[in-house]
Amino acid sequence: MKSLQEFESFYNQTLFREMEVLDARRKRVMSRLMSIIGFTATGMVLSILSAVYFVDPARDLHFVLIFAGPVVLLLLGLLFWGIWARDKNFVADFKKELIERIIHFISPDLSYQPANFIGVDSFERSRLFMTNIDRYNGDDYVFGKIDKTQFWFSEVKAEYKTTNSKGQTQWHTIFKGLFFVADFNKHFEGSTVVLPNRLGRGALARVLQKVNLSRREKLVKLEDPEFNKYFVVYGDDQIESRYVLSPSLMQRLTDFRKKHGSPLHISFVSSFLFLAIGYTKDLFEPSYFKSLTHFETVKPYFEDISLAVGIVEDLNLNTRIWTKQ
Amino acid sequence: MYGILIALGVLILFTIIAYNRFIMLRNMADKAFSTIDVMAKKRYDLIPNLVAAVQKYMEHERGTLTDITAMRARAMQGNLSPDERVQLENQITRSLGNIQVAVENYPELKASENFRQLQASLNEVEEQLSASRRAYNAAVIDYNNAVQMFPSNVFALVFQFKSRALLETPENERQNVDVKKLFNN
Repeated sequence: MKSLQEFESFYNQTLFREMEVLDARRKRVMSRLMSIIGFTATGMVLSILSAVYFVDPARDLHFVLIFAGPVVLLLLGLLFWGIWARDKNFVADFKKELIERIIHFISPDLSYQPANFIGVDSFERSRLFMTNIDRYNGDDYVFGKIDKTQFWFSEVKAEYKTTNSKGQTQWHTIFKGLFFVADFNKHFEGSTVVLPNRLGRGALARVLQKVNLSRREKLVKLEDPEFNKYFVVYGDDQIESRYVLSPSLMQRLTDFRKKHGSPLHISFVSSFLFLAIGYTKDLFEPSYFKSLTHFETVKPYFEDISLAVGIVEDLNLNTRIWTKQ
Repeated sequence: MYGILIALGVLILFTIIAYNRFIMLRNMADKAFSTIDVMAKKRYDLIPNLVAAVQKYMEHERGTLTDITAMRARAMQGNLSPDERVQLENQITRSLGNIQVAVENYPELKASENFRQLQASLNEVEEQLSASRRAYNAAVIDYNNAVQMFPSNVFALVFQFKSRALLETPENERQNVDVKKLFNN
């Protein structure tokens, strides 16, 4: 695994020059955008001011200047943005020249498909979120193999809709963030689901955790107190869940949870590991407002990808001492 | 009159619920225990294969190999008390661990595909054994809580449900294996 220092020197030596080219494009788009906004705004203000101060309200020209004028200017502004200022390939080139480079820097064995994402069937198979999905999409699909472990991840967003009494449709997010799947190092048939513990560890919490009507899996009480502070586990089979969640894996999951710092959803279903990390930001997308020639702008992209690829090592998935190879 | 009948009805209902809960908890513990048994038997099946695979190489550890074969035979006879059985299983775990560590001295053996497969099967059984032991302990804790906590302890007394002992972690899982000591005596 590459460290942040290694990435910083890679950035300074190799990436920086390419980022200068990309950043020049970003700046050009920004300056064109600013001039469009400037001209449109000034035009609108002048139009309204001239209507108010110079034209008799009873005349038709007054109406044109105060309402139609600003609207036409706004449409013109949008037209200019669309055909002149916008850089249609900026996002695609950003992904190719930065995100893909970072991924290959971390490991040359990984592949990256910016427009692809993990399918909804995989997402549902994880049994992590039991709500019915009405809309599902994603992007930034990364896949490959590190040592003996095959894995793939992408950004996904799953939503469901509700319709209120007025017939208006509202969309609600079930999950948004990074969805990671790997071939697990032990063989098993059923499912074990590890969810964030939102109720704590009191007696009442235990009773509420036990009654989980939405899923077929039963509560599995594990013996590691620190693990129980962060997670609550449901499984099809009490023994199989403990076979999957060995004391050392519980320790590793606890450490990973502390490292990441926000709730984690993990499941183990028919020999696969699924891990969902929620993010509020859009992952692996450029920002027009931050300079790519600053290391601080590029650093979070490396950290997000590293965190995902690092799961294989963090959870020790390359240890294949059991019958599954 | 009706009051007494209702009170009696409620009491009977509570008794039935409490009794069934004890049975359920006890069955869960028994089920976990039977898995330990299944895994232990799987392990017995692997021991002769392991001995056959390693004895050609491990001249110096002949004693250990004879010991583990003897322990297996004793465990399979089946006339042991639960405590003796647990102790014997722990000894087997320890010996198997030691043999696997000693294999490090025999690169040729370590590299053989046959042995690697055997080692994977053994690790698998050990991991399953440890899981069923943990599941048993978790089930026994639930059962014991019901036996000892008020008010269910009243019903436990009436129906003669007694607390069960937890399985302790085998010694070798807590301390590092001293291979030299084992093979020198």
